[in-house]
Amino acid sequence: MAFFLNSFSIKIHPEWSSFLNQTRLHFFLAIFICLGCLLSVAFSVSSQVPEVKVVVNPSVESKEMSVEQIRRIFSMRQTNWPNDQSITVYVLANQHQTHQVFSTKVLGMFPYQLERIWNKLVYSGLGEEPIKLQSEQEMLERVSEVPGAIGYVIQQVESHNVNVIKVLEN
Amino acid sequence: MKFSTHIIFLGLVFQSFFLNANSLKINGFVAQGVIQANDSNFVTDKGDVSIELTEVGVNSAYRINHSFRVAGQAVYLDGGNRYPDGFRVDYLFLEWQFLNSTNWQIKTQLGRNKNYHWLYSSTRDVPHTRPSIVLPQSLYFDAFRDVALGVDGVVLIAQTHNMLGEWDINVSYGDSQLSEQQKKNLLGPNATGKLKHDLDKQFSLYWRPTLSNFQFGFSLLDADFSYKRGANDTFFDGDETSQRIMFNFLYQGQNWEIASEVMRERVIGNDVLFPGFSSDVTAEGGYLQARYFLSNELTLLGRLDIYDRDRQDRNGKNVETLSQGLVPGYFGLMDQATAGVTWKFAKNLQIQAEYHKVKGTGRLAPIFTPNTILNDSKYWDMWAVQLMYWF
Repeated sequence: MAFFLNSFSIKIHPEWSSFLNQTRLHFFLAIFICLGCLLSVAFSVSSQVPEVKVVVNPSVESKEMSVEQIRRIFSMRQTNWPNDQSITVYVLANQHQTHQVFSTKVLGMFPYQLERIWNKLVYSGLGEEPIKLQSEQEMLERVSEVPGAIGYVIQQVESHNVNVIKVLEN
Repeated sequence: MKFSTHIIFLGLVFQSFFLNANSLKINGFVAQGVIQANDSNFVTDKGDVSIELTEVGVNSAYRINHSFRVAGQAVYLDGGNRYPDGFRVDYLFLEWQFLNSTNWQIKTQLGRNKNYHWLYSSTRDVPHTRPSIVLPQSLYFDAFRDVALGVDGVVLIAQTHNMLGEWDINVSYGDSQLSEQQKKNLLGPNATGKLKHDLDKQFSLYWRPTLSNFQFGFSLLDADFSYKRGANDTFFDGDETSQRIMFNFLYQGQNWEIASEVMRERVIGNDVLFPGFSSDVTAEGGYLQARYFLSNELTLLGRLDIYDRDRQDRNGKNVETLSQGLVPGYFGLMDQATAGVTWKFAKNLQIQAEYHKVKGTGRLAPIFTPNTILNDSKYWDMWAVQLMYWF
């Protein structure tokens, strides 16, 4: 046992020791710089998260909505617009990047939370889940066609017959 | 009775389909698993490996107009000894939404309703909506399952929001039909009489603080039962009342979900075991559950669940004394540690696996006449794997 211990023990010369201390300083500096780079990259990435636009059919009178109200609509609690018109809610599949960005950045909820709410509605009879679509293109087509419809997209909407809702920050 | 409700349900589906395909929704689920509960009669009498873990369901909803809607779900279940197997109408009701403003949504549902009062009660038979295959037995104990499923009667559901957040208020009033096996799960194989669930009143309140990931809930239950003696019966005419107060908590973070429900349950029994018999016992129980989302596909589960049949007798000593040593003390409690994993490997397809280590047999059927021969171990364990698909 002693043989192994001795063979692994290292005696450091004072000159080497000061060199190692300097190296340690450089090492920490390097880590610090790397972290800084990573953080700046992280922030630049988060600032590059595409903006999701909440879109409604032109028949909807509302021009702006609070985050709470949008949450209530997408969790299927509020099913009528203030003028009593029925709301038709469209969403993209759970795995769709636009859905994930909409859920976390606009609603402040994780996709699994919405899924749980909708599952409870569907499998206990309490209500209906939103209509699931495959693409943003389909979303824009449906929202522009169906009175009272609401959905969300990242892509440009200028060429479609939909209104963009101004989301009121708290 | 069963057959006629099936006919009504099928009629509802087909009639709705031909009336207006756009207003009709059809969803469902299919799940099959393998389960084994060693050293207990929880799933089978012998404690062997069993495939009695089948859950199939189809539901439909049809919107008649702005205010009225019908919804129904039929299921086929097989859980071994856990609950009566076979087809059943899970829910079937007419909904009347009589207030639907931006601030308040109030509706009433008439017919067979689910239990909307606890965290997992409304979808406890829908495999992919559950955190685990077998739910914590302190609150969701299978021997009493049919009674806690819901009520034939009326439900009032109100939702609102204010400065503090979102609020849900649920009130239910009605009764439930108890099958022969449900009666035997409660009283034992020698009960030849008729057990009735006379009246069930429940209330619950949920609060989600504004834009938070937290939810707090509170619920009350008051259920009355009566027993009419049958021919050559070992039981007597009598009645029983269960009263529960429950609190629950849910936190849903990015990687973690924490859930907890605790309850205090007072059970008052008169005469059923023998004329003049009287019992008034308050049980306590609850669980703390953590789920960790490793990725979008993989979820880990850990849970601790405890139950004491009598809060004055947590180690079950009185159970032993009162039965003159015939019933071991571990029938007075049931604590359960669970570890599980869920893998969602494709769209609408997932597999769930779990292991339970259990101390005590307080929640095993029959509740009123403990089976000390099949349940002769204080410690027992259980594992289950289930594959589930839904649409």
